[in-house]
Order: sequence, then structure tokens, then C-alpha cells
Amino acid sequence: MLEELEKGPWPSYVSELKKGQYPIEAYAQGLGQGLSPWFGGSARIRCEFVGFIARRTKDGKRTELHFRVYHPSGQFYRTDALRKLLDFSDKFGLGLIETVGQTGDFVMPIRPELADQAVDVLRALGTDIGGTGDTFRDSAACVGPALCEYALFDSLAARDFYFQYPEFYEKLSSQLFPFKIKLKFSACPMDCARAAHRADFAFVGLWEGAPEVDQAALRTKSDAGEVSPRDLAARCPGKAIRWNAATQELSIDGAKCKKSMNCIRQAFPAIKPGASRKIAFMMGGNSKGRFGPKMAKPVALLDDWKDAGEFMNHLLDLWSDRSPHKDRLGDFLVEEGFEKVVDKFKEYLPVEPAGHMVGAPRIVNSSVLTDKERETFATWADAIAREYEG
Amino acid sequence: MSTSDAETRAPTYRLKKTVPVPYTRDLPEIVGRNIGHWVGRTYHGAGIIEHISDTGDHLFTVKAGGTSNARFSTATLRKFAEIADAKGLGSLRFTRSGSIEILAGSLEQASAVKKAVEGIGFHVGGWGATLWAVNSCTSYLTCTTAVVDAPSLTQAIYNHMVPYFTGETPLPAKLRINVAGCPTACGGLVADIMLAGHYGAAPSFDPDRIRLCLPSSAKSLAQVVPEVQMVCPVNAIESFAKPDGSVGINIIEKKCIGCGRCKDVCDHITWDPSKIGVSVLIGGKSSNTGVGPTLARVLVPWIPVHPPKYREPVAVVRKIIDVWRAGARPGERVADYVNRVGMKTVFEALKVPVGLWNRPAELNTGFGVREFLAR
Repeated sequence: MLEELEKGPWPSYVSELKKGQYPIEAYAQGLGQGLSPWFGGSARIRCEFVGFIARRTKDGKRTELHFRVYHPSGQFYRTDALRKLLDFSDKFGLGLIETVGQTGDFVMPIRPELADQAVDVLRALGTDIGGTGDTFRDSAACVGPALCEYALFDSLAARDFYFQYPEFYEKLSSQLFPFKIKLKFSACPMDCARAAHRADFAFVGLWEGAPEVDQAALRTKSDAGEVSPRDLAARCPGKAIRWNAATQELSIDGAKCKKSMNCIRQAFPAIKPGASRKIAFMMGGNSKGRFGPKMAKPVALLDDWKDAGEFMNHLLDLWSDRSPHKDRLGDFLVEEGFEKVVDKFKEYLPVEPAGHMVGAPRIVNSSVLTDKERETFATWADAIAREYEG
Repeated sequence: MSTSDAETRAPTYRLKKTVPVPYTRDLPEIVGRNIGHWVGRTYHGAGIIEHISDTGDHLFTVKAGGTSNARFSTATLRKFAEIADAKGLGSLRFTRSGSIEILAGSLEQASAVKKAVEGIGFHVGGWGATLWAVNSCTSYLTCTTAVVDAPSLTQAIYNHMVPYFTGETPLPAKLRINVAGCPTACGGLVADIMLAGHYGAAPSFDPDRIRLCLPSSAKSLAQVVPEVQMVCPVNAIESFAKPDGSVGINIIEKKCIGCGRCKDVCDHITWDPSKIGVSVLIGGKSSNTGVGPTLARVLVPWIPVHPPKYREPVAVVRKIIDVWRAGARPGERVADYVNRVGMKTVFEALKVPVGLWNRPAELNTGFGVREFLAR
């Protein structure tokens, strides 16, 4: 079965697994059975309670231990720094790396007998293990001003700031919350960090009013055929753009603007975000939680990412007190009432709460079906498969 | 202090984590001097972006699509480092979806990087109106809760998608596919097409070992609810006292939604491998373009999985892409397309049997930053 997964035009992860010393037999066995081979295992690393995950197979014959290692914000590496991490993986690990886990960190399988020593070596390289269990997970930021012209605030600096935020920092090493906590930072409404869905606390760059238009620059772009102002007006999701062909001027109605970035991405820098920059602070989004996947709800428009620290800290205390194990912050907000909670803690924000939440039905992405129902869907899928085999 | 002392001493300093270095410290030089100075970009094909700075600098990034679950051997990553040194600026960055972006100083350099990356078997692409990197969880590689194996399913999908990734076959807009091994869906529901593994039926439990997840004595039931029961969002698990004084549980199939939260806290919840499958969801997106950020909705609640080829899920993904390509206007992502034509039309185009778990509900919109805007 594994050989089959090495064929085909896309580079195969199985070939990569084989180059390292990953216990691939366990994986192959699981694939054959339709059951994950792994059960919760255990490992002891002195004075480390967060940042590593141990597994064992059901028969106890094979084990797996991996570290979650913090990336620097932006995940840029000079090759010399990268090679040090690769040397680390070869010496202490299995020569295999998941360059980015779902939370956003480097995932490195480690030899259990060297794990204790490996922690110190990793720290000397300027990073650490962290972000497992019921505590702050690795936070994530989009590439922001380091590489992107649309960045409205420094998402990378914001991530660095909350890593070191004293009340959060002291909790990085212990699992005291009901469940995980994620912070994500996206510097513009395009939300490359997927903050509005995948973070308990989301920071997304935003501006107030209409985008700024440099009419002369836009005309130059239009004359050169790079931009069609008519097309910009037609494709604006908020129908906020008017193109006056007589005066060759484009106007945008700020009240209608949805901040979709469509015109900005087509015509930047002739059209760029408005000067009144804000950070949309939202909370309660998650993929995994009691009440299923949710989008974040709006809290306030901040001037500075630092303004949310106290609010978050107090809210986390209440959540820890009241929520049962494995209830996300978003679940807590559903149970307590979002507006009520915001109202209770708004004194910790320098601005008044803003925004109005949009209701959403609960999404269940699993199902419990009868044999007959499964048969119906299998027949349907089989017909489509035949179409493509034709 | 002798060596043995040093080994046994509790390293309490470890309780204070070393946070990653400030991001400005180890940046590639050209990036460091242009923070906040970027003013434009030019796409050179689907895999090369030219970043233009107001300082006069031009930086090129070349995006190589990663393997399933971003699994790389150190040997392969060393090859990428060699390419970055020999052909580029000696720097690279890992994206949040498992791709690798190599930095180059000119279009010639970038083209040389592209050629070298293709030389070691990887593909360059994944920007603009193409298939972006497929987000896959680890599943059977490390995860205890995985029902279906996402990396192998991702591999099977990728093998049919190369022209969409490289931009050779045009798509109407960006396409993001997420593959998750269980209903937890670690990658999130903000994907145009989302596959999530699940049991297909209510889970069961290992009768011999389930006691390891339960209180040892039935007397304690007066004070506590067993965690495996407590986490259930629909009260489908009930606990009771057995005649021998121990605790037993029942899983009530009629109530169960198959979310897998019980498996999350107890390894001894199990399932029938012959019934596992993936649900297919469409229309999620994270970006505020078009209809704005929204979560994907269920199109088909279950299709069977047969590794390693996964003929049914792969064919269904291809079919959805074909329907979208045929019907979408330029720039319309799946969510925008579904929102315009209506979920019902999409169901009809795909001839999906409608059941209790996949009613053609319309997408909800107006989330994310739009919740701050005037209505």
C-alpha cells in the first residue's frame, strides 16, 4: 500500500518518511486496518509539562515522541539557522520534520532517550518547545509588513508581544485552562492567518470608511491597461464604487464598503486602505469545541494590539472558573451569552465595544447513518468515480 | 559539582519558556530593511511573486508545494537550503500551509530556483487563481483521534491536481482544499472544499478497556459525571452502576452525531473500520473578498474511503471542481459561486441525494470584520 503512495506526480510524503527513521510499519498497519495505530503514551522530561506529545501503539511495541517547536514570527529562516535545526533533528530526532503543524509550529519527532538533553540544545538555538494541551497554543501571524504591502498593522510584532505578555507568559508552561487557547493575527481583512475562524482571540487589520483613491495614479494605471475602473465598480461586493467616465474619477462610498480589498488588490497603490487604521478584535472562533465549528464574534475596534491584553486576561480567568474540561472559549460564550460577557469585561478595554454579531446555525461535519443511507451515498460516489475512470 | 549531580538536578529554569527571537532579529537582510516599505507586486506565473519596495528593492519569492502534512526529511530540506544558497538569497520561509517559499534577488535567480526545485521533484505554483497548498492533518502518523488517514488521501488528491497547482489549467479563483482525518477538522472549515473523516455510524467502545476511562467505583457517580460522558455535546453517553459495583456506559445511537469528542478524552472508544468515510463540505473561506469569510457547509455527509487510491473522494473533489469551473465567473471562489447560484443548484448539478444530514442550506455570510461594518 505504501508503494502505491509513492507513485504519482506529486512528491510523496511516504518517500520522505522512509528517508528518516519514522516507525513507518505502525503507520502502514493503521492504514491497512482503518484505525489509527496510536494511543496516548507517556514521556517524562524534567520540568517540562507543555510542548511534547508521546504516543504508543496499542500493543505497546512502538512509541513515538514529538516536540512542538516555536517558529519565529513570519517563519523566515536563513539557511545557516535552518541547518542548525536540521542538524538538531538528525542528532536528537528521526531526521523527519513536519515544517508546519496545524497550530503553526515545527513538529519534530524526537528520540525519547535524548529528549531531556534536546530541550536545552533547542533553547540554545533561540527557540523552545511549547503549545500542547490545555494552555496557550503557538500563536500565528500572517507574513504582515515583512513581505506584504497590504499590512495594516505589524502582525508579527503583535505575535511577539503576546508571547511575552507577562500574564500569558507565566502560563505557557502549565496546563491550567479548560482547553486550548489560540491567538491569531492577520494584518488585513484578507485574513491569511485564518484568525476569524481558527483563533479564540483574533486580531484583524481594518480601516474605517472608504479606501483612499489617488485619481491621477489610477488614470495612469487605467490608461496603461493595468486596471479597468468599470470592472472595479462591477465587481465591488458592496456596490460602493462609482466610475464617472466623463470626469475620469472613481469614488467610493465608505458606508457601503465591505473592505473586501478587491479594488485595492487590483489597483494598489492608486487605491489603498483608508488612513484611519483599526484592529478588529474578535473572539470565540474555533474549529474544535463542544458546539462545533464557529466564526469569531466582534468585540471592539482597537487602535493598538496591546489594548486587548487586560480584557483577555480577565476573561480567561472567568472561563477557567466556569467551563468544564474540553469546552473552548467559544463554547463558554455560547453558554454565558456573548454580549453579557463583553459587557462584564468592557471596562478593561480602552474603547467601547463595537460590532454586531451574525447568527449562524450549528454545523455538524460528521454524521450517523444507517447502512441503507451509506449505501445510497456510496452508489452516488461510485457513479462519479466511474465517470472519471471512463 | 559532579556530572551526575548536573544530570539529576531538576532544571527548574525550564519552567520559563524561551520565546522565539523577536522576528526582526534573524530576518533575511533584504526583508529586514524593507519592513513596511512594500508597495506592489507582480506575478510571474503561478509560483513566483516579485515584491516591489519603495526603497527600490525587488524581492522574488518562489513557492514550492510541500508534501502531504508538510512532512519533509532533513535530507530534502537540506536540498532546499542548498538551492536557496546556490540560486537564491540564502533564505526561505515556511508557509502556514506547508509550502516552502525560497527568496531570490532577480527574475533570473527566481527562474533558476524554480528549475532547481522542479529538478528535485517538487512543483512551483499555488498563487493567484490556482489550487493552493492542500492542508492535511497528521492522522495516522501521530494522532489518536483520527478516523480516516488524511495524508494518504491528500497525496491521492494532489496526484490529480498538479496542473491546477502550477496554473497550467486555469481556475476561476483561488481554491483551497482541507483534508482532516476526524470531525475535529484541525485545519478548520474555511476551505473551498473540505473533507472530514468520521465514523459513519455511532462509535462503540472496547468493553475490556473502557473502565480505564471511567471512575473505578459506581459510588462516585453520585458526585461526578465521567469525563467521557461530560464532553458529549448531545448527551448521547449515559453511565450506570453495574451489579459488580463498577461503572458502565451506553452510547445511544439515536442521539449521537459522531463528533468524536468522546474519543478525544478516551482512547478506548473505537469504531467499525468498514463504516468509516469522509464528509464533503463546500464553500468555506477565510478571506474577506466576495461574500466574506464563512464556514463550509455539508454537501455529502459520507462517502467511502479506500486507501491508497481513494477513488470515490478523489472523483468527487474533481467533480466539484469541474462544476465550479463551468459555472463560476472569473474571480468567484466556490463560496461566491454557491452564494450566487444557490446551494440547491449546486446539489442539483451534482445530483447529490439529499438526506437528514445534508439539506441544501444556504451559506451564511457577513462574518469576520464585516460584523463591524454598518448594515
